[in-house]
Amino acid sequence: MDEQKDFTPQESLALINSMISKARQRYSDKSFYYLLWGWIVIIACLLHYAFDSYQLIEEPSMAWLVMFIGAAISIFYGMRESKQAKVTHYTDKLYGWLWLSMSIGMIIVIINGQFINFQIVPLILLLAGAGTFVSGAMMKFRALQLGAVCLWAMAIFAFRLNEVEQLLAMAVGIALGYLLPGYIMKFNMKKQRGL
Amino acid sequence: MAFKTLDPLLHSQLRLAIMSLLVSVERADFVYIKEQTGATAGNLSVQIDKLSSAGYLSVTKGFEGKKPKTTCKITSIGIEAFEAYVNTIQQYLKP
Repeated sequence: MDEQKDFTPQESLALINSMISKARQRYSDKSFYYLLWGWIVIIACLLHYAFDSYQLIEEPSMAWLVMFIGAAISIFYGMRESKQAKVTHYTDKLYGWLWLSMSIGMIIVIINGQFINFQIVPLILLLAGAGTFVSGAMMKFRALQLGAVCLWAMAIFAFRLNEVEQLLAMAVGIALGYLLPGYIMKFNMKKQRGL
Repeated sequence: MAFKTLDPLLHSQLRLAIMSLLVSVERADFVYIKEQTGATAGNLSVQIDKLSSAGYLSVTKGFEGKKPKTTCKITSIGIEAFEAYVNTIQQYLKP
């Protein structure tokens, strides 16, 4: 780029437009988080279901301790990714705030379960659906938005089930709402990179 | 109507390209700016220094492993200057 060259207002505007369009965020790969949380939640749901159904341990909800592994991996991966990133878009921060607010909402629902007759799973599915739907809109990735619709559909269904059956509904919802779009995203990114 | 003069610091291809890029993102590192503008490292470094001295950019120097990493972020002064520049350009382009 010739720094000294004198240029017209039209050329200036064209340059501004071209740089802004270069910087416009393209499809960003967030598949890691969807696959990580998808599998972790499914494992927790199935473990909880198995512990409860076959009375394997005294406190079946201990299955959810695997979430801490997910949180640790997410934090470690996120920090490494942000250190290595050549560019940070405004939306990258927004994803963080969005999922932090959803996680806080989920924790509030979980710790107040006794006041809502332990209808925790449908509410978690509603929040997960909201986060996924907005993420899909921000990424302009339709599969995520369809995934969110699946999460909401499973929330409606889960309200009609007992607490133990709700775990299976959640596993199905997460498989359709997180895992499936996550794998599609991963596949698309690989294709984009020509791998 | 008298035209405002264009900010000479921004009315340069490479500096305007850097500012246009940084106004669209939260922050970007030197390598990214170099790739997007196609400038040479030496020239880019000089222009970033000029923008940083004017308070248009904040520059953070650090390391990624053993490699040095320079990250640039547009400041609020830079955003104002960029907006003023665009408004002036639009004045010039009005029929």
